[in-house]
Amino acid sequence: MTASQHNLLDVDKLTISYQVNNRWIAAVRDFRLELQRGQIVGLVGESGSGKSTVALALMRYLSSNGRVERGSKLTFDGEDLLRKSNAEMRRLWAKRIKFVPQNAAAALNPSIKIGRQVTEALQAADGLESHDAYQSMMRIFHDVNLVDPERVAERYPHGLSGGMQQRITIAMALISNPELLIMDEPTTGLDVTTEAVILDLVRGLIAERETSVVYITHNLGVVAQLCQRVVVLYAGEIMEEAKVAELFQQPRHPYTLGLLSSVPKPGQSKGTAQLQSIAGNPPSLSRIPSGCVFAERCPFVVDICREEKPPLETLTDGRSVRCHRWQEITPTLNPSPIKREGLLSNNTPLPSLWGKGPGDGGGATLMRVTDVKKYFPVERNLREVLGRVEPTPIRAVDGVDLQLRAGQTLGLVGESGSGKTTLARVIIGLEERSGGKLELLGMDVRNSVRERSHDVLSKLQMVFQNPQNSLNPYLSVRQALRRPLIKLRGFSPAQADAEALALLERVNLRAEYADRYPDELSGGEKQRVAIARAFASDPDLIICDEPVSALDVSVQSAVLNLLAELQEDHGSAYLFISHNLSVVGYLADAIAVMYLGQLFEVGEAHELFHPPYHPYTEALVSAIPVVDPAHRTERILLSDDLPSAQNLPSGCRFHTRCPHKIGAICADEEPPWRAGEAGHLIRCHIPLEELSTLQRTLVLSDKAD
Amino acid sequence: MRALTVNRAYAAFRRTAAAQLRHPQSALGTVLVAFFLILALFGRQLAPHPNPNDQSHDARVAPTLDLGALQLGEHPFGTDRLGRDVYSRVILGAGSIFRIAGLGTLISVMLGSALGLFMGYQGGWVDEVIGRVIDALLAIPALLLALVLIGIIRNLDFAAGSWQAALADNVILLVISVLYIPVVARVARSTTLDIKTREFVEAAEIRGESQFYIIFREILPSVIPSLVVEASLRFSYAIFLVASLGFLGFGARPPSPDWGLMVNENRGGFYQLTPWALEFPALAIAVLVIAVNLMSDGIRRAVQKGA
Repeated sequence: MTASQHNLLDVDKLTISYQVNNRWIAAVRDFRLELQRGQIVGLVGESGSGKSTVALALMRYLSSNGRVERGSKLTFDGEDLLRKSNAEMRRLWAKRIKFVPQNAAAALNPSIKIGRQVTEALQAADGLESHDAYQSMMRIFHDVNLVDPERVAERYPHGLSGGMQQRITIAMALISNPELLIMDEPTTGLDVTTEAVILDLVRGLIAERETSVVYITHNLGVVAQLCQRVVVLYAGEIMEEAKVAELFQQPRHPYTLGLLSSVPKPGQSKGTAQLQSIAGNPPSLSRIPSGCVFAERCPFVVDICREEKPPLETLTDGRSVRCHRWQEITPTLNPSPIKREGLLSNNTPLPSLWGKGPGDGGGATLMRVTDVKKYFPVERNLREVLGRVEPTPIRAVDGVDLQLRAGQTLGLVGESGSGKTTLARVIIGLEERSGGKLELLGMDVRNSVRERSHDVLSKLQMVFQNPQNSLNPYLSVRQALRRPLIKLRGFSPAQADAEALALLERVNLRAEYADRYPDELSGGEKQRVAIARAFASDPDLIICDEPVSALDVSVQSAVLNLLAELQEDHGSAYLFISHNLSVVGYLADAIAVMYLGQLFEVGEAHELFHPPYHPYTEALVSAIPVVDPAHRTERILLSDDLPSAQNLPSGCRFHTRCPHKIGAICADEEPPWRAGEAGHLIRCHIPLEELSTLQRTLVLSDKAD
Repeated sequence: MRALTVNRAYAAFRRTAAAQLRHPQSALGTVLVAFFLILALFGRQLAPHPNPNDQSHDARVAPTLDLGALQLGEHPFGTDRLGRDVYSRVILGAGSIFRIAGLGTLISVMLGSALGLFMGYQGGWVDEVIGRVIDALLAIPALLLALVLIGIIRNLDFAAGSWQAALADNVILLVISVLYIPVVARVARSTTLDIKTREFVEAAEIRGESQFYIIFREILPSVIPSLVVEASLRFSYAIFLVASLGFLGFGARPPSPDWGLMVNENRGGFYQLTPWALEFPALAIAVLVIAVNLMSDGIRRAVQKGA
């Protein structure tokens, strides 16, 4: 047929195996993909789903312990890639197929100047003379909106921010106008603001050049905003393939459905609806079930699912699904009609847990943070030593006032480098503060953990970002939970054992988990144990530092639900730090926005998505990749350079990036706090009424109910 | 719970054993070390002459070992110029070298790791000061430092039975400890620096655990794998050091059956007369050192994989 001639990339029955301990394990099975010229297809899946393996196999760039099995078909522009020699592949890589990696910092050679790396690639691809190569490098740098390209070319990779590094790798990939671009999570390590910039850039560049893209990501929001078609991978198999609009409006596979409903949508909060989640863990690739790979976690599972592997059925053109029961699955997403106990549970509104904003005195003040500062000293250089000059310290936290209320969640948001983690570490006592005061229930809180009283210690706990490191690999779950009970609550060992089991039950883990070690737990289970450990001392305040950012989407929502439930039961307050505004918006009662060591906006959570907001908040909110292809926000793009915390901008710290800058006053004077309704505070020179007229509602909350 | 810990230890042991077997060199090393260990433990039962100083009437008998016929003969490695059976002396020498090198390694690993853990966890000026002292010690050539220490201590006069005298008798142990504690401390310190930034250590700090608890309960278990590797490496160096000191005449005193000492006693003019009296103890040293090295390679591979 002629259709296959038109396809740039034609993949069928692609099976990829890895050799592990002398056994071949099929990591990807029966993958297929048809990619037309100028199309962007998203490849979505959780960690371990095989999406990166597919990317490498498409490039014929598998590691030495991987192989493409016989019977696989992989053609690029009508040519069989599997029969190509390495030399032929190298020529393809130089000109026609390009790759953008996730970790740009690791992809660039740290010891070669940017300019030389890029011109080298240009010379290899197009055989240009060095002068011409320099000229075309400048053109490409201009295309990817690099500011001051001549200076950038003279720098080494470590001198550039993450966003700029990623632009360089994208620029290098666009050399010689490739026909196929494979992008492996290019924005995953970046801030939302930077991510928005890069996504816009990619969208524009691709439209101009008619390049075909395979875009790999775990973020459904990115897919919704960027791609035309999606392939959903799970445990190495395609679950569903569809046009983006169709997939988001009417997912046909229970896994897709679960994924879509487990992402908190802007405006959705713990008070209005519980998040839906997918129970259980993906199967181990060395023991692939004979039936449907998703059967173990599927809420619609029937006997046939476990016995017989469902075929990948084609429904309409370009739409296929691998499920025995796809015809019965016809939900609309919001609100969800699926009422199934325990799993995709319905949207019962929880009773409202708060009612008062942070400023109007509702709820007892639990902790008062007054003018807290944290400066990190900088080593003096020789000139400073000789001149006896004290170098400017890094002002990570520079005068923060906050009040945390009992039983409430305060969300703290900001880009990386804004000082939010440092503030958390100062409050918990892992960093000594350079100035300011902390009061917990009227008690003065000492500087570091070592000076703090038993009472204060047991009232303050923390849940860390990385579940991998937050549990000691050499202590069993029981041992990890016993210790705080004995230490902080004075339990006898026998009492502590009993209570440890009770704690496990509260975080929805079976008692048998008590004797497991961290390496026998999945990421989500580890984080549950870490949460149980934090709750062991019955604390009043738990600091959650990005507790779900290292987890897969399907696991994230379960952990968020758990945190909301536990808060309701215990009445503990959370200081919840996250770069993910949808997550914060879901869990928080009040929100504080931090930028370069200072707060710029404090207000109730539901205010976050409505004007007036601080211009910085506006940029953050507009950058959220919304999980809805129909939704297009007008992005407010920030240049991706956060000023150095050592050399802070004068006046308003945000003026260097502010889209609403009004003039000299922004650079000269510190902005005043302006009070809005219900304790809403914004620190800006622009009066709130004026801000409201400048801004539009960016994200509508819960339009459906 | 205890049973679980034992199970895990057993699993770790099995993993190590499996990794050893996967590489024939390290398996060979382990087998050889085990063989020497048996000699060290049961030397008196295995040696034809349990007393190393038994003198036969036939001095300077050539080795009767016949590898082709697989026969040992009366004096497999021959006799030395005084008529002592070299075969028995080599077997009996294994005991002293394992005892001194093994004990020395054990002391240095225990003290060195405690010191390194403390330095690494404490950081700041404590780490700085101890670190500089260690750097200074490591800057002196090992053998030179050993000779100076031995020279000083042996020349001091201590009352018999006093602890100083006991120390002087075990001066080699002291030397091994002084030389290797800094090395082990460095290894333990660098691993500790990595581990102490992990969140589980911070979680322990947040609940107000003592420094002692954090160092030994939270950090130590994660440092042990690298310590095991370092210990096996130190052991091979200690064997070499003990043999060197014996050879230089600073170790065991005649007529004890020390390998290094035997090499020394039979060199020069005697080598023409009884080459075997030098060659067999020298061979024993070489084989044991290589075997321990091969074994520690295997241990390192197993530990790195398991991590």
